[in-house]
Formats: sequence, C-alpha cells, structure tokens
Amino acid sequence: MMPGDPFLTTSADEVGEEIIVMTEEQHLYYLNYYGLDRPLSEQFLVYVKNLMMGNLGRSIYYKMPVSDVIMLHLPWTILIVVGATVISTISGVVLGTLSAKNRKNRSDRILMTGMIAFAEIPSFLLGLILLLIFSVYLRLFPLAGAITPFANYNGLVEQLWDILYHAFLPIVTLSLAQLTDVYLLTRNTLITVTTKDYIRTARAKGLGEKTVWIRHALRNALLPVVTRTGFMIGIMMGGVVLVESVFSYPGIGMTLRSAVVCRDYPLIQGILLVIAVSILVCNLLVDKIYGKLDPRVVI
Amino acid sequence: MSLLKINDLKCHYLTDSNTVRAVDGISFEIEEGEILGIVGESGSGKTTVAFGIMGLLPENTASSGEILYRDEVISSLSESEIDRFRWKDIAIVFQNGLEVMNPVMKVGVQVMEPMVRHLDISPDKARSKCTDLFRTVGLDPKWMDLYPHQLSGGMRQRALIAMALSCDPKLLILDEVTSALDAFTRKEIRDLLVGLQRKNGYTMLMISHDITFVSSLAARIAVIYSGKIVETGPVKDLLVSPLHPYTRGLVHSTPDIFVYKDLWGIPGDVPAGDEFRGCPFSPRCTQKIDICKKASPVLMPAGDGREIACHRGGIAGILVARNLSFSYRLPDGEYLQAVDNVNLEVREGEVLAVVGQTGSGKSTLAHILANVIRPECGEVLFMGGNVSGENYGNRFNGIQIVFQDPFSSTSNRFTVFDAVKEPLYINKIGSNGDRLQMVKNALELVRLPNNDNFLSKYCGELSGGQRQRVALARAMVMEPKLLIADEITSALDVSTSANVLRLLKGLQNRRGFAMIYISHDLSLTLKIADRIAVMDSGKIVEMGNSHDVMLSPSDEYTKRLVGSRIGLCCHNHPAL
Repeated sequence: MMPGDPFLTTSADEVGEEIIVMTEEQHLYYLNYYGLDRPLSEQFLVYVKNLMMGNLGRSIYYKMPVSDVIMLHLPWTILIVVGATVISTISGVVLGTLSAKNRKNRSDRILMTGMIAFAEIPSFLLGLILLLIFSVYLRLFPLAGAITPFANYNGLVEQLWDILYHAFLPIVTLSLAQLTDVYLLTRNTLITVTTKDYIRTARAKGLGEKTVWIRHALRNALLPVVTRTGFMIGIMMGGVVLVESVFSYPGIGMTLRSAVVCRDYPLIQGILLVIAVSILVCNLLVDKIYGKLDPRVVI
Repeated sequence: MSLLKINDLKCHYLTDSNTVRAVDGISFEIEEGEILGIVGESGSGKTTVAFGIMGLLPENTASSGEILYRDEVISSLSESEIDRFRWKDIAIVFQNGLEVMNPVMKVGVQVMEPMVRHLDISPDKARSKCTDLFRTVGLDPKWMDLYPHQLSGGMRQRALIAMALSCDPKLLILDEVTSALDAFTRKEIRDLLVGLQRKNGYTMLMISHDITFVSSLAARIAVIYSGKIVETGPVKDLLVSPLHPYTRGLVHSTPDIFVYKDLWGIPGDVPAGDEFRGCPFSPRCTQKIDICKKASPVLMPAGDGREIACHRGGIAGILVARNLSFSYRLPDGEYLQAVDNVNLEVREGEVLAVVGQTGSGKSTLAHILANVIRPECGEVLFMGGNVSGENYGNRFNGIQIVFQDPFSSTSNRFTVFDAVKEPLYINKIGSNGDRLQMVKNALELVRLPNNDNFLSKYCGELSGGQRQRVALARAMVMEPKLLIADEITSALDVSTSANVLRLLKGLQNRRGFAMIYISHDLSLTLKIADRIAVMDSGKIVEMGNSHDVMLSPSDEYTKRLVGSRIGLCCHNHPAL
C-alpha cells in the first residue's frame, strides 16, 4: 500500500503556502466521510458497486466527481497521443521504406545508426532538451499549458492554432520517442518481404518498381506495423505521464501525477482505469483492423 | 530466326563464403512455336536459367553471356527497360507455392494487374478478360474474388497459368508447374497445356525435374547438370537411348518409365567447391577417365540432332559379343546347339538381364562371356581386348562371375577367409596383410561380419544366403568392371534371395560396375534390370528396355514367358 493520507496534504501542495492542519476531530470526520476508516475489502466492494453504476467516486483534492475531472483532462491527452501516433507512424514508415530501398547503401547505414542511438534517449529527457532549446532559449514555443490563459479568440481557427501551438512540443517529444521502433519495424519487415516469392512474381509481371514497392511490398510490410501501433498507444499512455509533467500539459498524465502527490485515491484509481480501458480498446481496434487488412486472419 | 537465343549464360551466386556456379555456360535456342524442355535434378540450375531470362536474378548474382529475344539483347537491359518485355512477350508460370501470389490481394486482381499495365485496357475490360482466362484454365470465375490461401494447390497452379497467359505472351516459361501436384491434377494441367499449345501455338520453355511430364509435351529436351547442359536431343531418342550416363541415370530413376524396377537414384553428389574444373558429373560417373577430372567437356554434335558433353562420347560399351556359338555333344553323338549365333553388347554401369527357361543356353552364354568355356566361333571383346586372349578374370577391374550354387562354388573345407582370399592368392596379389584388409573390405561390402571369428569359420557352417554372399565377396575382392551373376538366387529361399538381390543391386549402384544378370525368374529380373535379353534355344529372340520387353513383348516366346507367370489367387486379373 502507498503510505500517506489524503487529508494531511489536502491543501499543502504549493511551497510557501500556509499549511492548514486539521484537528483530530476534523480528520476523523473526513476519513469517515470518504469511507476510508472501513476495512479494505469493504472499501473495494463499495468501489466496484459504484463502478457498476458508472460512478467513479469523488476526487478528494478537486472536490468533484472523478469522472468530471477525467473528462476535463482526457481530451488533451488524447490529442497529443493520437497526434504522436499519427506522426510517428507516418514518418517511421516513410523513413523505414527509404532505408529498406537503399539497403546496403551508406544512407541506410547512417540513418539506422542514428535512429538506434536516438532511441536510447528517454522521452522525459528529450522533452526537457526540447523545452530548453525551443521554449527557454529560442522562445518559439510556450513553456507550459495547453492554451493561452485568459485568451480571447477571434474565431475557431485562431483557437485551433493556439491549441496546436501548445501541443506541438509534447507531440514531437512523444513521436520522437516512438519513431525508431516504427522505423526499424518497417525497414526490417520490408527487407524480409522483398525476398518473398510474390515480390518476384510482381517484378516478373513488369509492373514497374513503384507498383512493386507500394502495392506489393509495403502493403504486406505494414501489417506488423499496424499491430505495433496498437501496442504503441499503450506504451504512450504510460510515457505521457512524464512528458505531460515536463511540459506542464494539463492531460490526465499530469493529473495522475498530482493525484499521486495528494494521495487522491479515487482519482488515481479512476485514471488508471481509464488508461487500462483505453489500452484494451486500442488493442481490440487493432485486431479488427488487422482482420480487414489481412485476409488470412479470421477474428 | 529463333525466338529466344541464349549464348554462354553464366550465373554465379556470390555469397560471403563461396561462389555457387548455378548456371555455368549454357547456350540454347528456341524456335517460334517450339516446346523445349529442360530437365535436371534439383539444384542443377534450371530455375536460375528461367530467372535469368526474366531478369529476376537476386542482387548477389554475377551473370555474363547474352540472352537474345528476337535478336534484341535483353540480358543487359535495366530493370525498367526489361519491363517492356516482361509478361507481354515473355511470361512465366511460377512453381506453385503458398507465397507465390500476394497473400493480401484477391486472385483475380493479381491476374488483371498486368493486363491493365501492359495492354492499356480499362479495369472492366480486364475483368471480363480475366473471367475468360479463368474458364480457359478450368477455374470457375467466381474464384476470382478469393485470396490465394483460399485456393487448393491445383487451383493456385491454374490461377498462375491464367496469370501468365493474361497478356498473350509469345514465350511461356513453365517452372516446375507440376512438382507439387497429385497425379490427377498433374494430368489435367498437362492436358490443359497441350490444348493451349495446340490452340495458340505458344512457344514454351518447360523446366522440370519431372522427365515424364516434360517428355509428354516437349519436342526437344536439354538435360542440365550442375549448371551445364550435358545432353540435348529429340525427346524420344533421348529417352529410348540416352547417350550421357547422367541422362540414363535420370531416365532410370523415373518410375513412370521403369514401372516395375526398384528405384535407385544416381549415387553421389554434385562436386562442391568452386575450384573444381573437371566434368561436373565425373565424381558420380562410372566410366570416368583421367581427363574427366581435369577439363570440363563441351557440348558436341552426336548426329540426328543430338548433342552431348562427354569426354568419352557418351555411355561407353564395356563388353561386345559377336556371333557366339557353342554346342554340347550328347551321349548319342548328336550335338545340342546351346548358344546359337548370339550378339550382344553391355554398356558401362548397366544391368543386362538374360532371361529364358531352363535349358535355353543362358548359363552356357554366361560361361563363354566369362571365359570359363571357349566358344566354337565368334569373339568376346572386353573393353577392346579379346576375352579369350587376355585373362580378365585374373586381374583387378576385369570380369568376375558368381555361380548359381553357392554350395558347390565355395568349398566346405575352406574357411571364409580362405574362400574370399582365393583369387588374390592364386593371382599373387598383395602381401598377406593387404589381402586380409581386402577380404575384410569385401565382406563388409556384402554385409557380412568381418571379425576374426567369422573369418575363421568354415564355409560348410554357413547358411545358403551367407555362402552366396561369400561367393559374391570373392568376386568383389577383384573389383570387377563387369560382374556376371548366373542364377545366383535360384538356390535360395524367397526372403534370402530378396536380400541378396537388393544387396547386389545396391553394390552395383554404388560401385557402378556393369552386370549381366542371368535368371529364369522374370518378376525378380524386372526389379533390377535396365535391359533384358530373352533367350530361347540358344538364340536371343528379343532384346530391349526392360519395361518395353515386359509391357509389349514382340516375340512369341517372350509373350509366353511373360504370360507364364503364375498370378496369386488374390489377384483378380491374370499375371500383370
């Protein structure tokens, strides 16, 4: 069990803030109010019962329903995770294809070595470096947040631009962290696929280099990449906690971090549940898509 | 003008450790409308030739030579230039395999793909053409919308044929189209190809190890071995009288040609290592001479449109008998003509069976050939020398004979060692130590124990099968080039004779000596003989390929001999 007590830290998050110490009586009252004085098994049963009815409980820190807190922050996380997935997959596939086509050339070797070395940098460190360079020194991007506070937008375009402007660095960080995996997978699968009999068949048919590569080789090589993308979303959901913290981006990753700091148990449980469910949903989706792409697979 | 001409094509696969000379200087031509078959064992380079023509060789291939299509050199074209010829002019039916078609594309789409590309027609038109093609190859057009893995092997092979025909190619290359198919499908595909060829007059290059399949379609065959053509010629001549020992080996290992014979492959393997400069077949050849190890023979004309690459000009004769006659004087003063004007030839590495009923003169003939008795007239030549003048029985690589009855041919009072050593002793060959080793080797060869205990046994203690093996070992110790086996199994029971016979054929196959096998037992003979000579009253009445003699005997006596086999009661149809 995680040590700590939500009511000792209720309002003592920021440094320099006056710490309000509860009286023993108040403390007991809160414990009783949130049901934390009851046996663990009973607490769990109550939680599951509430969950069945769609009630995730109340956040101790935010003093509002957990579901509301999550709904407030989840869209931001979805934005950067989906953005990063799209960008890393597309650029990974493109780079992987280039590399496979120029296999045994210098360009492939340089690209591959670079990518592998790059993959060893942890995402939070990468985030910090990007933040330092682009926000602190170059001042090209904001230091924190998802939107400019108290901004008045003239129309939707400006609002979208502001959102993208804030999401740019987190998305880039997450994408770069995943890029090498996609790149390597695409490159290696393509190299395997190009030795297959059906590629020779396609070449024999005189279809031209482009058709052979795109229609026959890439189409087959992308199958494992699709599977990989499903797993990637799961990995990113974990990675997003660190990246959001670095960029103070108000997604559920950041919320999870602060919930842990405040020992906001209902919120922690709620967020973890959402992450778990989204990973499962992604995997299911991937399986469905795979079944559509590869006729040999029956789901 | 030939449609396709290949000049000295060489394709060497370069790997990190060595060079594989898959195709090593091949030249041939295909005329318009002709069907040429290329046959050879797996790994002989057949498929590499096909890929070479299509420009599909892997990157690590060093190739040289010229490929001309209608006088245009296509071997030096770039990938995009050769696309002009691919499929529209030269198409290939690939060997069937699960991944030979793109697994994620519908079969019909894959057949339509080249049409849209090369014929410049709309997808709708391509689809209707594809429907026709499917009907042509005997596939229901509804299967166009299936994926390759949903088709059976035979269906996939048909789809591959439909795909190859989609752009009406001038030259069709067929690469092992039937190798993975069952007998029914194989025949259907063959009939389909025959029909297509008759209707459209395709020029075809058929590549297969299946000599039966190729011979049923092709007009000419080129036999390829270790990347070189060793023999070419019209199909029929090549099958009936192969000139090259390798071709003969291939024909002999084909069950469709030798229906009754046990299958014996060609022993040995292709020479490994790229340093070898001699004839690639020499390590497996039974008639190699010194030059075979040093230089590779070139393809030379051999008459009747045939060509052969062999330093010895093809399978050499080993024994020739001309006008042999012999008669016994009977007690009443009459003469019995046992051998009457017999002519025969035995070639390197073959098994010639002499069959006939008892008293037909087989054994007398055997004894004459082995120089045990002298003929009244005629001569026997062994590798050019006269048998009666030179004592070929007294030397290594000569003629040895094994007699019918092991109990009289090996003395009861001899030990096994003495019996086997006898020819060495008589001919004063080797020291005592050498002899012991040679005897031991010979015994091992005939699968008898060669320990001291067995060596010191007396022949009288042995069983019939063991004694016949001792007799065989005694012949083998002289390493004969020709072994005459005179009814060697007739004194043995069924199981023992089966063992001895298999042993003998195994030895012959491995050692590569020629054999004259004398027997009255037709069924047994068919198991091992390449050629059969039928004898009646001292004459050879019929001689030929063993299955021809058996299946379609022309002589009356042979017919009776074939018909006299007693059928088993459980066989409904009469013998055969």
